Amino acid sequence: MDETFTLLPIQMDPASKSLSSPTRTLDPDLTALNALHRAILALPNQIPPPPTNVNPKRSAQVQKMRDQGNASLRTGKSSPPSAAQAQEAIKLYTYGIEMATGRPGWEPSALVKEEAGVLFANRAQAYMAARMWPEGAADAETSVELKRAGNGKAWWRRGRCLCEMGRWEEAGRWVRGGLEVEGNEQDLSGLAKEIAGHLDKSGI
Amino acid sequence: MVDLIGLAMPFAYLGLLVGSLATFSSLYRKRKTARSASLEPWFDPHVQRNIYLSLLHLEPQPDQDKATPVPDSILKAALLQRAAEDIRRILAIRGAKQPLSQLLQRGSVGDDLWQRFLRAEKEMEAEVKDVVEEANALATNWGQTVFQSANEMVNNATIRERVGELQAKGRADREWWDKERESISSKFMQELDEEVPAGGSKPASTKAGNSDEEAVLVEAGGPAAGGSTAGSKGGTVKKRKGKK
Repeated sequence: MDETFTLLPIQMDPASKSLSSPTRTLDPDLTALNALHRAILALPNQIPPPPTNVNPKRSAQVQKMRDQGNASLRTGKSSPPSAAQAQEAIKLYTYGIEMATGRPGWEPSALVKEEAGVLFANRAQAYMAARMWPEGAADAETSVELKRAGNGKAWWRRGRCLCEMGRWEEAGRWVRGGLEVEGNEQDLSGLAKEIAGHLDKSGI
Repeated sequence: MVDLIGLAMPFAYLGLLVGSLATFSSLYRKRKTARSASLEPWFDPHVQRNIYLSLLHLEPQPDQDKATPVPDSILKAALLQRAAEDIRRILAIRGAKQPLSQLLQRGSVGDDLWQRFLRAEKEMEAEVKDVVEEANALATNWGQTVFQSANEMVNNATIRERVGELQAKGRADREWWDKERESISSKFMQELDEEVPAGGSKPASTKAGNSDEEAVLVEAGGPAAGGSTAGSKGGTVKKRKGKK
């Protein structure tokens, strides 16, 4: 492999500078390459900056979507948010998630995890307000996957959603896993007790 | 004269000995390298590297007599893809090294496998050096950061893949939940229906046809029901059959 390589049949369109190949096997690689090329053209030096320098614009936009979503969920009294409010919040959080995960590949992945982790947890809450349990459960799980520690709310939300769908045993396993990570978080251990109580009742 | 012949003998002997040893050693080494070269490579062909180098040697298109030079930006993108693939391979090598050397010590794997692994490791070192040089040639000092960027690209790709998987699972869950809810509500409706004849005072003979129909309905609903509800349904079916 040192000094040799396989010459691949690649063609470049002289006008659009996009690459193509007559053999189908190369298509996925060349499509990815063309997309990366377009992203690189937009950069000042045409080389990706080191991951330590991040353009703050995108973070600001993500933050804005999150704040707007939170504001939409907030209600004056302690009454739960209405369905329309929840739908609006879901829309805003979804925009935020698209922005956070659509970050160019060379920007720090830790930042993506952080931002998307919070947004998924918030969207899970909005889904729960709209009584859309499967979506809420999936979003909470995604949030935990991105941000494992210090994310007790997301652990609790998936547990709650599973209970609402009647999957008590699965919820029990999930919450136990959460307690291992989070220590004895208050809401989480409360939910664990509730699940244990329900399983006892249905067991008898 | 006598002395010269006497001296020639040990020298001839020495020459023969050294000559035969040298031939043997060179033959042995040649065979060894040939064998290690014929071993299967550890990784699949490095497509991104081939793309990058093919772009450097791009052939002119049939209708042109001279190839258009590939712009630097494309080469940079291709090099970045190549570095990302290198990162994946380096991670694979790092993960495999410890367990593989343990297996080798225990004699669970053959020496061939270890040779293949060592060759891949050496090749990756050369490959990394090569990429850094190419990066420095394309932009000043890019070699220092190209692998940092490539590493983030790999991590980000993993994150996106994982998020995609979990969200797809959520969509599958939604379908399951829609079905589950339907079966729960239909079961609930049936229970309501069942309670009406049971509440009436023994309408057995007059409503025989009616209850037959219900029993069929319940059985048809059986297979579609989720695992948790199947048990109670089986119970109601049996009860009905027992009553008849």
